[in-house]
Amino acid sequence: MSQNADNAVEVIDLSKNYGPVAALKEVSFSIESGKYFVLLGPSGGGKTTLLRLIGGFIKPSAGTVLLHGRDVTDLAPNERPTSMVFQSYALFPHMSVAKNVGYGLKLRRMRKAELDERVEEMLAMVGLEGYGARMPHELSGGQQQRVQLARSLVLQSDVLLLDEPLAALDAKLRKDMCLELKRIQEKVGITFIHVTHNQEEAMTVADRIAIVAGGELVEQGAPRDVYERPVRRFTADFIGENNLFDGRVTKTGGNAATVDLDFATVQALNGNGLAAGQAVALSIRSELLGLLTPADAENGGLQTIPAEYLEEVYLGLTTSHLVRLPNGQEIMVRTLSNGEAAATFEPGQTVTVGWKTEAARLHPD
Amino acid sequence: MMDTYANPWAYRAQWAYLLIIVGALMAPVFYTIYISFNEHGFGAQIYDFTWDWYVVLFRNQQIIDSLSWTAYLGAATILTAVPMGLIAAKYYKRTRHKVVFVTLMLSPLFVPADILGSALLVYFKNLNRAFEWLGDSLGVTWFYGWFELGFFTALVGLILWTVPYAFVVILITMSRYRVQQTEAARSCGATAWQAFWQIEFPQIRVGVFSASAFVFILSFNEYTRTSLLKGGFDTFTTVLISHMFNTGMSGDSYAMGGLVSVISMAVIGAVLVYTLAKAERLEREARAKAEPVAA
Amino acid sequence: MTAETSPAIEPPAGRGRDIAAKPRWRRFLTGEDGIQKVVFYIPLVFMTLFFALPVALTLVWSVFERTRFWMEPGFTLFAYETFFTSARAENFLHAMMHSAGAVVISFVLGFPIAVFVRRRVPEIAQHRVILLFILPFMISELIRIFALRPVLSRHGLLNSFLMDIGVISEPISAILFTPLGVVIGEVLSFLPFMVFSGFLAMEAVQKYVFEVCDDLGAGTVSTFKDIIVPLAAPGIFAGSVFIFVNGLGVGLIPNILGGPGATNAGSIVFESIVALDFPLAMAVSAIMIVTLMALLYIGHRLFDLTRILEPIS
Repeated sequence: MSQNADNAVEVIDLSKNYGPVAALKEVSFSIESGKYFVLLGPSGGGKTTLLRLIGGFIKPSAGTVLLHGRDVTDLAPNERPTSMVFQSYALFPHMSVAKNVGYGLKLRRMRKAELDERVEEMLAMVGLEGYGARMPHELSGGQQQRVQLARSLVLQSDVLLLDEPLAALDAKLRKDMCLELKRIQEKVGITFIHVTHNQEEAMTVADRIAIVAGGELVEQGAPRDVYERPVRRFTADFIGENNLFDGRVTKTGGNAATVDLDFATVQALNGNGLAAGQAVALSIRSELLGLLTPADAENGGLQTIPAEYLEEVYLGLTTSHLVRLPNGQEIMVRTLSNGEAAATFEPGQTVTVGWKTEAARLHPD
Repeated sequence: MMDTYANPWAYRAQWAYLLIIVGALMAPVFYTIYISFNEHGFGAQIYDFTWDWYVVLFRNQQIIDSLSWTAYLGAATILTAVPMGLIAAKYYKRTRHKVVFVTLMLSPLFVPADILGSALLVYFKNLNRAFEWLGDSLGVTWFYGWFELGFFTALVGLILWTVPYAFVVILITMSRYRVQQTEAARSCGATAWQAFWQIEFPQIRVGVFSASAFVFILSFNEYTRTSLLKGGFDTFTTVLISHMFNTGMSGDSYAMGGLVSVISMAVIGAVLVYTLAKAERLEREARAKAEPVAA
Repeated sequence: MTAETSPAIEPPAGRGRDIAAKPRWRRFLTGEDGIQKVVFYIPLVFMTLFFALPVALTLVWSVFERTRFWMEPGFTLFAYETFFTSARAENFLHAMMHSAGAVVISFVLGFPIAVFVRRRVPEIAQHRVILLFILPFMISELIRIFALRPVLSRHGLLNSFLMDIGVISEPISAILFTPLGVVIGEVLSFLPFMVFSGFLAMEAVQKYVFEVCDDLGAGTVSTFKDIIVPLAAPGIFAGSVFIFVNGLGVGLIPNILGGPGATNAGSIVFESIVALDFPLAMAVSAIMIVTLMALLYIGHRLFDLTRILEPIS
């Protein structure tokens, strides 16, 4: 069993079964101290289960949870150096904001004067100075979440767990709160573990992102790595707006691999460890695809496939173009909207879709 | 409510019908109270108001004794059935065998008093014999007479009768409670016990109070189970019934009926007013929560 | 988890360090997995010991041999024979018919109230209106039945009311101490339960369902028949079983309101106990309990009775 006190959290072979249903299957990972760590994934994928296991709200069927090298697997939530921010309805409705925030300190029998001071300080940090006397139902959704944050932070726990903390807020508010969470985390410097299904939220706050789905930790890395260089097919499908093609490797040489997509043959560069004949998925983010003029296409240096133009969807900053490949698959090509459309296409028109060879990624799984 | 305005008379007629049914259900009770204040008792042509029947009642030592037994039993039932209902509601929330458990908890409502009372009576008698036999074979006697008919057995009958109500009333209040709050308290460092007392209990207190009131009224009013299981002593209702069968309906039996109804109605009325006022407040808070004030 | 791993590294400042060091026995007394967990099983144990077990054992005791003051283990169907070959069986059948009549009357009188409250009363006021029925329900059946005696008797409230409004000119004496009196007593005692369980089942029906019905122009009858009854079926069934079984089993009603010889299962049981014929009392109890279980089982298979509990779970 590896132990590293610099890891705020270390999870070893953690499993959780509900009867015959496995919510989490032997997950292992560690989180470096002081990092903002995000568990991202589709709902029902096990990320909340994982967070609740770390917080001690449920017991694992097997496996170990270490916090700063100490085994806490059998400890109750109140015995762990963690505190948790919930999605909603977690404020104590019969207590004022100040009482809510001071609850944990009161349990530790802190002197009243010191307690009041700490509460006031914490309310100031989350931008709620002077709100101490209000009752929870007098606050907006965003303010309620700030109070929750203050209630957890005031305890100076080693690890702060956030379970979809922004999911109940509207889009605009969520953006502001994301930046604020990031700012607060940098200020207090403790480890944050944040569960969300929202990619943008994850990208905004995370130092590291772990993709959790189907009860497994699919892949983890810095936001940029996960977005630009996904290793697993699932990640490519889940993150960003990737187009996926199924094909078969026909030839390999060093990094390069040639992939037969049935209707076209293309090259890709991360072919390490692949063998000819192996089935692979090829992913390309929609913004890295382009609709080529005949001239571009002949210039070479690009991977190209023929397609039939279907329709254009204007999204403000970008415009998406839907095209159909010879095998019937429909894919999305995304371009920046520039005032006058550079070239307009007619539905039904034959076009060529192209990309730089390094834009494509191969996923053997 | 869409065609309320289209046909206001049908709406009013339905309301009137509802109130008539409630009135019909309550009429005998009020009629009894009315008779109990008539100096000449039931069936007389003239009505002269008097407290005398009640005075007679409170001069009767047997009735005073039975009232105190009723009060002891009621208090003991509250102290046992309400915590049990609360624990059962907590258990219901966490168990995965909800259907089996809820069936077990609510079935006593469906088993008629005479049947359950007799089954328990025979059960206790058998337990007594079994314990005696066991004591004789082991040579120890400290558990002799545990289930001798008496206060304890009557209490068991009353708990079985009242616990389903306490369970349901508390469960309904609990369904408004958000379990995240307990988890939040735990995460703030509270033990399970602290989280329950400091966070959950204040929010379900209304339910616990109403449950206590209901349990008291139900035990106060119960006759059949108690009369089968009580052993030596008498409660108010058993005196009332034996009085009725032995000496027929006289002015003081109406006064006894009146007394039971008035006390019951007063307790229920107080509970209803209290819970409704509380519900009003909760609703206001819920409305405020639904539309948060501008940030 | 091996023992030497935990203390290897001094944990950083944080609460819980000392708690983790608690000895095992302290954790048993204070931790959630220890003695506290046992407390949760108290209701389960109590109900099993003092409800499920005695009720199930009635079946066993019903075949015991009767002795002079008690009974002794054995196997005889004598008690059942006594029951089915005496006038009791016939009385029991009559009581069943009266009870069934009370069920029908309670449904006709009470269920429309549940529908009306759910459909027409504003959502926030619904519970309050239903609470109106708590009052008569909570005053014991004993008092209400007892109170019916002066109401139904020859010089009672009902007769004088009917004479006042001119429906009858002579008081009717054939109400009290007749089967009619018993049925009236049962309806008045148990009608609130039909309102409660009907309403509880209707609560699962979202209000928009009615709006859709009105929108589609469904008539009152077809809405009732095709929408309301199927949706509220578990509640109607639960209410009906309750009224039927209690009408059959509450011995006080025929005792107080029925004429000489009026009985039902409850009074037969009570009288058998008084007569020290324990096997007979247990046999009738067993018949009642088997009937109840069978009805609930059938109802559950047909309507899924757990649907009633949705609002509280």
